[in-house]
Amino acid sequence: MATEAVTQPRERPEWIDFLISQMIALTGAFAFAALIGAVIVIAYGEDPVFVYRTVWAFGTSRPQDFAIVLENATPLIYSGLAVAVAFKAGLFNIGVEGQYIVGMAAAAGAAIYMSGLPTALLLPLVVVAAMAGAMLWAAVPAVLKVKTGAHEVVTTIMMNGIAVSLVAWLILHPLRSDVTTTDLRTEDFPQSALVPNLATSLGIEDVIPDSIVHLTWLFPIALVVCVAVWFMMFRTRLGYEVRAVGSSPGSAEAGGVSIGGTQIKIFLMSGALAGLVGLNHILGDTGYLGSNYETGLGFSGIAVAFLGRNHPAGIPLAAILFGMLLRGQDGLAILTELPIEILIILQGILILSVVVAYELVSRALARRRQAQLGQAAS
Amino acid sequence: MPLIDLGAAIALGLRYFTIIYLTGLGGLFSERSGIVNIGLEGMMIVGTVMGAWGTVTYGPVAGLVTGAAAGLLFSLVHALATVTFKVDHIVSGVVINLVAVGLARFLSQLFFGQATQSDPGIPDFATINIPLLSSLPLGLGQAFKGMSPVVLVAFLMTIPALFVLNRTRFGLRLRSAGENPEAAASLGVRVWPLRYAGVAISGALAGLAGAFLAIEINGLFREGQTQGLGFIALAALILGNWQPLRLMAGALLFGIAQAIPLRLNDAPVVNLLPEEFIRMIPYVVTIIAIAGFVGRVQPPAAAGRAYEGAAT
Amino acid sequence: MAEPATGDDAERSGVPLIALHQVTKRFPGVVANDAVDLTLEKGEIHALIGENGAGKSTLMRVLYGLYPPDGGRIEVRGKEVKINSPRAALALGIGMVHQHFVLVDRFTVAENIILGAEGGSLVDLDRAVKDIEEQAQGYGFKVDARKRIDDLSVGEQQRVEILKALFRGVDVLILDEPTAVLTPAETKDLFENLRALKDDGKTIVFISHKLDEVLAIADRITVLRRGKVVGETTPSDTSKERLAEMMVGREVLFRLEKPDVDSGEPLLQVEGLNLAGKLHDVDLRVAAGEILGIAGVEGNGQRELAEVLIGLRPPDSGRITLDGKDITGRSVRQNRSLGCAFVPEDRHERGLVLNMTLWENSVLGQQSRAQYLGGWGALAIKKIKELARRLIKEFDVRARSIGNEASTLSGGNQQKLILARELENDPRLLIAQQPTRGLDVGAIEFVWKQILEQKEAGRAVLLISAELDEIYELSDRIVTIYEGRITGEYSPQDPPEKIGIGMTGGRGAQREAS
Repeated sequence: MATEAVTQPRERPEWIDFLISQMIALTGAFAFAALIGAVIVIAYGEDPVFVYRTVWAFGTSRPQDFAIVLENATPLIYSGLAVAVAFKAGLFNIGVEGQYIVGMAAAAGAAIYMSGLPTALLLPLVVVAAMAGAMLWAAVPAVLKVKTGAHEVVTTIMMNGIAVSLVAWLILHPLRSDVTTTDLRTEDFPQSALVPNLATSLGIEDVIPDSIVHLTWLFPIALVVCVAVWFMMFRTRLGYEVRAVGSSPGSAEAGGVSIGGTQIKIFLMSGALAGLVGLNHILGDTGYLGSNYETGLGFSGIAVAFLGRNHPAGIPLAAILFGMLLRGQDGLAILTELPIEILIILQGILILSVVVAYELVSRALARRRQAQLGQAAS
Repeated sequence: MPLIDLGAAIALGLRYFTIIYLTGLGGLFSERSGIVNIGLEGMMIVGTVMGAWGTVTYGPVAGLVTGAAAGLLFSLVHALATVTFKVDHIVSGVVINLVAVGLARFLSQLFFGQATQSDPGIPDFATINIPLLSSLPLGLGQAFKGMSPVVLVAFLMTIPALFVLNRTRFGLRLRSAGENPEAAASLGVRVWPLRYAGVAISGALAGLAGAFLAIEINGLFREGQTQGLGFIALAALILGNWQPLRLMAGALLFGIAQAIPLRLNDAPVVNLLPEEFIRMIPYVVTIIAIAGFVGRVQPPAAAGRAYEGAAT
Repeated sequence: MAEPATGDDAERSGVPLIALHQVTKRFPGVVANDAVDLTLEKGEIHALIGENGAGKSTLMRVLYGLYPPDGGRIEVRGKEVKINSPRAALALGIGMVHQHFVLVDRFTVAENIILGAEGGSLVDLDRAVKDIEEQAQGYGFKVDARKRIDDLSVGEQQRVEILKALFRGVDVLILDEPTAVLTPAETKDLFENLRALKDDGKTIVFISHKLDEVLAIADRITVLRRGKVVGETTPSDTSKERLAEMMVGREVLFRLEKPDVDSGEPLLQVEGLNLAGKLHDVDLRVAAGEILGIAGVEGNGQRELAEVLIGLRPPDSGRITLDGKDITGRSVRQNRSLGCAFVPEDRHERGLVLNMTLWENSVLGQQSRAQYLGGWGALAIKKIKELARRLIKEFDVRARSIGNEASTLSGGNQQKLILARELENDPRLLIAQQPTRGLDVGAIEFVWKQILEQKEAGRAVLLISAELDEIYELSDRIVTIYEGRITGEYSPQDPPEKIGIGMTGGRGAQREAS
């Protein structure tokens, strides 16, 4: 075996290669989706450039518009994080949808029954209640998976269905408002339970009217949570074990990691994050929980997670993109004859292309690495 | 509770059985060829909207055909992603489901002028009465009166399904692709066409089931009408250990469970629960079923794993 | 060029059945086959030998159409052919049985054999069973074509693989390391079958690195080294030592310096270990400064034994004592903290997390120790990276940066990293399972030296291996394992035939025909 020092050629560190490959994948996927979108738009007799510009403009022309984009993005960041942390352990949490609505119901319960407390106590309590409710909801599929092997995709979807009925019952019975008789909703939450509007706090509500834009402190908090999740995942022992389990459970186990225990812990954490998804809606926008609460945030979170490569740095960016597309729908409805469903299709195509592009790029990168490895060995 | 209700519940349960069984059977072909397909719900959704359109335009039989065709075409996306591009099967399935919702809205807007539903009252099939069984005493005969012919078709599908799987070259090769694709390839069998076929069959059957749902149960296309039935079909497949006859048993169980909140609200025990809780019953039944049985089932050995070899 | 001769003409005119001329195959960074010339005659058993990585499997895979050659040509019965798929190879009468069987476990023997050659779009299993059993009998095999593969023994499964090829009418049968998974008795049966096939005019290519077997069965022997043919001979013209020298290119030491250490009290004591279906009443003891070799053909409970000892699963009954302390049923984490180390058989499934960086892999198994943790559950990244750099330097792991993923290391370097990591904390007990599988000679010597150093340092080593050479090389005492039972205790002075008896079921015990 040769023992002389072999000068290895200076190589780009791996993470740069990785970043470059992700950029290539994203660009390719976006280009492809934009192309398909353009084709569809032309088929409708509209101008694709105009359409894309409208979407862009509706999200960026005034500070107020961008604020709406960020407002849209806020729940998606939490939702994307929830899906992503579970995915790192190899688990699919499709149940964020059900978890967040249970979270909202729990938050509503806390806000209503503890309404006497001052803000400093009530608001955190409400938030914790949301997280706890969602965690409880996530615990069922988690424990079933670990104890019986029941596939979490099926169980979480079933839990979603149960959640809808459960929350409906809660809104109509124990939490029902005595005051209003026609609407199906809870009472208004006390002011002390609501999350302050960001524009109001910063004193810029003349530029960003708080009656239209409900961008709250939950947005910057979401960014902080992203950093915290990054730290947890890449700098703590728990995150290390989660990634090991998700990547190579056999080796993790031989390294002393408890697979089931780790899976349950991370699924609960995923649930906790899911609990935050609905808060901007009920604590920053409506101020109550109505039976027509906002739905779909759990599923959009899956799309956001995939688009953001399941990484705490990519997720907020993906969420903002989605926020922009959501905002752009309004623009399209006003300024064009296009059915807004086009954007939904585009989102779908985008996700598909992104997923395929990532796969192709990872494999190409792996092949290149293998080749380099072979060269070094000769 | 009069037995007439039980009979009506069974009748409705059989219709839900049809959906779950057909979808599950499709999923069986896909998974036994090695491709995990959790996008069945999405393929079913595409079947609902296109089936509704086909029925409104040409009639219920055409509706079933367009639903199946739409499901098949849509499933090719999943096949392309998983077989050719080797994307993780579950990731692809999840994405397929997301895309399907948007696609359905788009198509609904296109064909019906409304994004989330068609107009109600689309034509359905003439019903049939099963000769001996529909005269069962105590109201049980109700279960076999006014039955949709498609229910019978679903039952009868078992025969060609079993035959193809166990007695044809295609079936042998398809199963080998799902158990050990390397072994198949080493013998000159081409794996990717078999997997495409498996996925296509699942798309067609799920689409057919979706069309049936729209035509025979709901009478229209409506967003969200699939209500997780695609996943319940998956659960039935798991419960059935990926075999047609056991799948049938699971589908019957889950089909009846679906009917409980719709026809058995006044049954003893059930009527003690608030209405919302009764609606949870199908989901709870599914969870209990797969939690209880999963340890004892064995999926096809190579399902979920990308086949890395060069296509021979 | 002469008129291409075909078929019987070819035989009569002396044209070999198969001729490989200057066949070359390259992979990124390595030339696996370098201008290889090889001929195969009708009715012979031709052994192809070389060490790991010499190119013998690759060459035969080229012949079987799994890899396209980068240079040279192949002639079958004097005619040049292009073989670009196994289907094409089979059409030419060339069949291959791989080292790792490609059988569908849940299918029956008959289904496996007819797959791809069903003879029509409908499948008639009854007829297939009849045809297969008839053909098998004709060659002196016995087989129940209705049995499922996972109900068969390894030797029986191999016979199914052979029948698969014969069913397709092959004239040439390539066997890749066929005896790696057989007991000595099954090997004897196989050799009988091969001779019967040879007498029937078939050609057998026997790829192996087991020189004794090769000398016993082959008519001709071709030796490969680093992709080139370095010699061709017959058993009567050569010896084991000469073959080994040709294979490796230098004089091979068959004996390493084994230090003599006074072993004392048993450090590890195993009593009455039972694991349903896999381990029966296993008793073992290993003293400090001793290497106990557990010899046996793979699949006889070795994996389960290692996993129970390290704590990956609890035994159904029995006791494990380490240094006087009862550790039965303790978790992997607890056992590691008590000084157990584990080098697994499968580097990828039990050793490293390939997607993670080298520094992350360096701490796997120790990530719960205070020295690698900071506050808030955070990892002490700096300390871990220091650890990684040290491990890589001490064990000469060839890596560009500790930030690279573990998948970028070669097999030998991966094994070295695992070894470095496991030995880092001065374990009292090292459990090494097939520690040199798939490694080249240099890496094998390195690993062996490390294991001997552990012995010198007074640790106990449990060496589980299917390679008798390795067992002999390192062990102070040897036990054999068969079907989950410890069947005999031997010393390295005992000849392999004696140990072979233990590997097959006991001291001279007759094996019932199963």
